[in-house]
Amino acid sequence: MAKARAIVKRLKAVKNIRKITRTMELIATARFKKAMDRATEAAAYTKKIAELVADLSQVAVQGFTHPLLQAHPTNQNAILLVLTSNRGLCGGFNSGVLRLVQRRIIEARDSGQNLQLEVSGKRGLNFMRFQQRTVSQSYTKFEDKPLFEEVEELANRYANLYVTGKLDRLDVAYVRFQSISRQAAVVETLLPVGQLNAATREQTSAQSATANAAAATAAGSTGPTVDYEFLPSAREILEEIVPASFKARLFKCFLDSAVSEQIARMVAMKGATENAGSMIGDLSRTYNRARQSQITSELSEIIGGAAALE
Amino acid sequence: MAGNKQLRLVLVTPEKTLRDQPVVDLRFPLYDGQMGVLPGRAPLVGRLGCGELRFTEVTGAHHSYYIDGGFVQIKGETATILTNRAIPVESLSRQQAEEQLRQALSRPAHNDLEIDARERDEQRARQMLALARKSHTSA
Repeated sequence: MAKARAIVKRLKAVKNIRKITRTMELIATARFKKAMDRATEAAAYTKKIAELVADLSQVAVQGFTHPLLQAHPTNQNAILLVLTSNRGLCGGFNSGVLRLVQRRIIEARDSGQNLQLEVSGKRGLNFMRFQQRTVSQSYTKFEDKPLFEEVEELANRYANLYVTGKLDRLDVAYVRFQSISRQAAVVETLLPVGQLNAATREQTSAQSATANAAAATAAGSTGPTVDYEFLPSAREILEEIVPASFKARLFKCFLDSAVSEQIARMVAMKGATENAGSMIGDLSRTYNRARQSQITSELSEIIGGAAALE
Repeated sequence: MAGNKQLRLVLVTPEKTLRDQPVVDLRFPLYDGQMGVLPGRAPLVGRLGCGELRFTEVTGAHHSYYIDGGFVQIKGETATILTNRAIPVESLSRQQAEEQLRQALSRPAHNDLEIDARERDEQRARQMLALARKSHTSA
C-alpha cells in the first residue's frame, strides 16, 4: 500500500504543477500579444526615420559627419549593456544572452579593454553576482513594457559619454526578435552608429516582412521625384536625425527583448505542460499497476490462507 | 483649387502612432517658430521645436498636443510628425511643468554645452507650462 500511496502523492503534485505551467503559458501568450503590438506600433517610427534618412541622403550630403557616426581611434572604454528578464522560467532566454556576454567579457579582458557592465533584469544581475563581476549600473525597471522615456534617458547618457570621449564603444547583448518562431541572442554594436544608411536599412530588415515591403515601396516612391524644402537645411536635419535614430535603435533592442522573453516563456511553459501531461500518464499507469499487484497479492494471501485451513 | 486637396496628419512617437486622420489645418512649432499647413502644401522636411501642435479635424473639432522636438515631413497629402513625446494638452500637469522649470533654472551649468542644455530644458518647461495654463483657464 505504501508504494501506491507515494505514487498518488506524486501524481497530485504533478497535476498541480501542470495547472501552474498551463496558466503561466496562457499569461505569457497574452503578454506576448501585447508586447508584439507595441513592437509593431513602434516600428512605424523607425520606418519613418529610415525613410527620412533615405530622402536626405539623396540630397547628396557629401562629407557629412556626426560625432556619433565617427569611430574613435581606440576601443579602450567600452560599455556592454545586457538585457535580461526579471523573472525566470523562460527557457534559454537568459542563458543565451549571458553566454554571449561571458565571451565578450573574456575577449575584452584579453585585449586589455576597459569594459563596464550595465545589466538590466534580475536574472542577469544574479548571474553577475554569482560570477563576482562588478556591475556599474543595474536596472530592474524594464519589464515587458519598456517606456521610451526611460530608454531615452539611457540613450542620452551614452550619447553624452560618447561625444565627450569617455566612451568608445557601446554594445548591447539581447535576444533579437526575428520572427515568432525565431529569436537569437546577439551582441550588437550601437555606438559608433556606423553608416547611417546601413543602420536604418538593417533596422527595417529586422522588422516583419510586411513592414519591410512597405518601407521598400515607400523608399521607391520617394525616389528623386520629391523635391523637398528643408528647414533649416538637409545637413542640420541629418545632425538631429543621428541621435534620434540611435535612440530608436536602443529602444528597439528593449522592445525586442521584451517580446522574445514572452515567447521564450510561452514555449518553455508549453513544453513543461506537455511534459507534465505525459508524466501524469506514466504515473497513473504505474499507480494502477501497483494497486493491481497489491490486490493480487492480497487475494493470493487469502486463497493461501484458506487452502492452509482445509 | 486648394478646395479639393486633402491633408492627412500622422502623428508618430517611438512608442506608437497616436493619430492618423484627415485634418483641415495644422499648426506646429518648428525650431525657429510656428508654422501653419493647409492642404496642398509643397513637400517639406523640417526640424521641430517644442510647443503646441494644433489641428482641426474634418468635423471642426480642435485638438492640441504638446510635442517635444522631432521632425516633420510633408509629402503629397500626408504630413508626418515624428516626435519623442506627444501629450494631449488636457492631460498636461501644471505642477509637473512648474517643477521641471524650477529644476532647469536651479541646475548649475559651467560650460557652453551645459548652458545650452539648460536653456533647452528651460524653454521646454516654459512651453509646457504655458500650454498647461492655457488649457486650464479655457477649461
